[in-house]
Amino acid sequence: MNIPKLIRIFFSSAVFSFKAQFEWLNPPMWLAMKFVMSLSQMAFFVFVGRFLLTADSSPAGITDLVAFIAIGNAIMMLSWNTIFSVINITSNDKWGGTLSILLATPTPRLPLFVGRAMIHVLDGMLSVAISFVFAIFLFGVNFGNADVLALLVVVFLTAFTMAGFGLLIGGLAFYYREPLVFANIFTFILLIFCGVNFPVQDLPQPLQAVSYIFPLTYGIDAGRKAIAGEPLVTIVPLLVQMSIVGLVSILLGYSSFRSFEHLARKTGRMEAE
Amino acid sequence: MLELNSQNKPESSSKAIVAEHLCKVFNVTKGFLRRTRTRIIAVKDVSFEVDYGELFGLVGPNGAGKTTTIKMLTTMLIPTSGNATVLGYNVQKDITRVREKIGIVLGGERGLYTRVSAIDNLRYFADLYGVPPTIRDKRVKELLQFMGLWERARDRVETYSKGMKQRLHLARGLINDPQLIFLDEPTIGLDPEIAKDTRSMIRDLVRKGKTILLTTHYMFEADELCKRIAVIRGGEIVALDTPSGLKKYVMDTSVVEIEGFGITDKEVAKFREIPEVLAVSADLSENKQVLKIQTPKGSEIISEVQEILKNSRIYDLKTKEPTLEDAYLRLVEGSIK
Amino acid sequence: MPPQTLRVLYSAFRMAMLHWFADPQWVIPNVIAPFVFTFVALTLFKEASGSFGLYAVLGGGMMGMWGNTLYASGFAIDFERWQGTLEEVVAAPSNLLHVISGRSVSNALFGLTNMVAILLIAALAFRIPLGIANPILFALSIVLTLLSVSALGLIFASSFVLTRSAQVLTNGLEFPIYVISGSMFPIALLPFWVHPAAYILGPTWGIDAIRLATSPQYASQSFWAGTDVNVAIALNLAMTLLITLAYVAIAAFLFKKVETKSRREGTLVQA
Repeated sequence: MNIPKLIRIFFSSAVFSFKAQFEWLNPPMWLAMKFVMSLSQMAFFVFVGRFLLTADSSPAGITDLVAFIAIGNAIMMLSWNTIFSVINITSNDKWGGTLSILLATPTPRLPLFVGRAMIHVLDGMLSVAISFVFAIFLFGVNFGNADVLALLVVVFLTAFTMAGFGLLIGGLAFYYREPLVFANIFTFILLIFCGVNFPVQDLPQPLQAVSYIFPLTYGIDAGRKAIAGEPLVTIVPLLVQMSIVGLVSILLGYSSFRSFEHLARKTGRMEAE
Repeated sequence: MLELNSQNKPESSSKAIVAEHLCKVFNVTKGFLRRTRTRIIAVKDVSFEVDYGELFGLVGPNGAGKTTTIKMLTTMLIPTSGNATVLGYNVQKDITRVREKIGIVLGGERGLYTRVSAIDNLRYFADLYGVPPTIRDKRVKELLQFMGLWERARDRVETYSKGMKQRLHLARGLINDPQLIFLDEPTIGLDPEIAKDTRSMIRDLVRKGKTILLTTHYMFEADELCKRIAVIRGGEIVALDTPSGLKKYVMDTSVVEIEGFGITDKEVAKFREIPEVLAVSADLSENKQVLKIQTPKGSEIISEVQEILKNSRIYDLKTKEPTLEDAYLRLVEGSIK
Repeated sequence: MPPQTLRVLYSAFRMAMLHWFADPQWVIPNVIAPFVFTFVALTLFKEASGSFGLYAVLGGGMMGMWGNTLYASGFAIDFERWQGTLEEVVAAPSNLLHVISGRSVSNALFGLTNMVAILLIAALAFRIPLGIANPILFALSIVLTLLSVSALGLIFASSFVLTRSAQVLTNGLEFPIYVISGSMFPIALLPFWVHPAAYILGPTWGIDAIRLATSPQYASQSFWAGTDVNVAIALNLAMTLLITLAYVAIAAFLFKKVETKSRREGTLVQA
């Protein structure tokens, strides 16, 4: 295995992926978008929560509803980057007609696409950081007891595993006409299942099982604990579970990507219709 | 005829089109971190007139300014300077009047709603052009029949072949029964059969009394169809005359046509250096390379040809009478004013 | 309104409808956010009183109307450009504003179907009783809100073209508008400096009217708390209408700018 070559592929695809999103979006706009989306998503649900609090009502077992909601949304923000961007890039290939050319090269697939995903992992972490700032200064969430290092690890791992999920969905991009529709639905569904705005236990019983498929569910839970300063022993198990789920999804993603590639080659659906 | 509540009287209706010193400059800014401004002069100075009932041709290489000129005449672009009147109406002041009375066929694969049927496309544009509802459906049907599309009228345009789309395009351009029609490269990319049909359709329209301004870069097409031709190069008109008038530019020359193999750009450049050579066109791409040299020297140049091409193969060498294409070539490539 | 203008409006409306039916899958991105947000709100409101649930359902419906308008109207002019038909449409003697207005109304109408879908699904899944106290005023409120949303869509359509970042703006504006318009919670909860932004949004008044027409229990949170319910509804509708007319005037101005700019810079074709 040619390590330097793999590393080179890794970095060049990461840089390419980063630059590609600026095709239609200049840097100031991109940053502005981050701020606007982070704030408005969080604000929406925080105010819904505050509305609920006016009725002296709150989901069972939650002492600080606003903090619960704010942190949940903050961490969820990375889903936009990781899932959307991974899909966007692979589908950009399809639309740009470069996909068939790319797949014709003997480049090893895994470092290529992991490299692409990495930049969005970092991008996602930036979104989370911005959201945390809003949470602290606009919605009064207390970060005083936070275990910062643990939080960093939690956010990174969550972003990474969610990028793996993005690969899984990205595989679908090869076969279907509208991958963005998938990305859209998928990212929004996370709002329902991952304990972003209410505990998973509040969902109807049969739906709860679905929540544990998503790494984000564990990530948000761990994130809340890290911010509350709870001991590592409560956080680590969640991280382990999340890593397992993440690994499974990366592997599934990779193999579904290969099988879709194979299928697309067979049916000739490589280029945009 | 369309019923129009026009209060405006045309400025002068003796000519169908009057273009006066039309000029169009684009300022293009690119990039976000380092902004670069480029000034593109698409049309430098274009003036000409077209008579009623004339089929007028505007020819030139790609990027010469044909399409930009048409767009200025059809109110799609605001001229940077200069002006034009179309059917007596000022293209900058009487925009609605101009749009009502002209037909525009810009060609290419666009200009139609592909997810919708042909008949829906035409009905839509008929409404946009104010075709009275009483005659709208009748006219749509007539046009589709005329274009041979009636059987497929209810199919989505995305299922149409290129030729069918082109005909539908043309039908759309005629939906308001315009007096003056602008055709931008109407036969580009079409199969020869279809192109031939299109050209005869164009001739029919003129016979019916329409005025047509046509752009093309096929000289034989301009020769065949047009009463007068304006040759545009680098945003300016370099010649305006009837086809036979234009041929006079090359009357004093002959064309030496060489078919060969192994000819490179270096040799072509050497030909251009010869003082008596007026223009050289080279098609070196295929296995059969064709070189055309315009020169008044005629066959006297053959010895120089053999000298320059001594390392290449010459299959055939002919001296010919110049055609309109050669005139065009000289106007466009050579150093004629 | 002269018959020719009506004809153009209807023709554009019909063309937009045909395109919707040709590609119905685009409904999904428009309605997914409102639907999910409603679901989340309803889950949060599970233990609270019934009025919260209905509030959320109406709000979700409102967002369904919004989402579609923003998405589809924002792209209205860009859509023509991608189709390659923008030049042909501008070349026609009809006013571009009228053409896009027809599209905008069509989009709002589909927004309405989104609204109904969300209302029904959420009500059924969460068992929210959907009684409407004043059906006539309810219907009127919906129609006026719809027109208001269409008019705002026109402003989006033109300004998105002028700024050349339609996709970004659509994504960027969607969530803030859901927040500011007070669809899912009373505006009173928002910081005071946000309130002016809420008041210039026609649909903000519209949804207040819709809520009041649905159930008088929302009177205390209404803008006109303390006045008779019917008077409050009338005032809301008057505000909605006023703002809608202002939107149309602004849109007319912007459209002229868009067209002149495109004709000067040659950007009617995909650059």
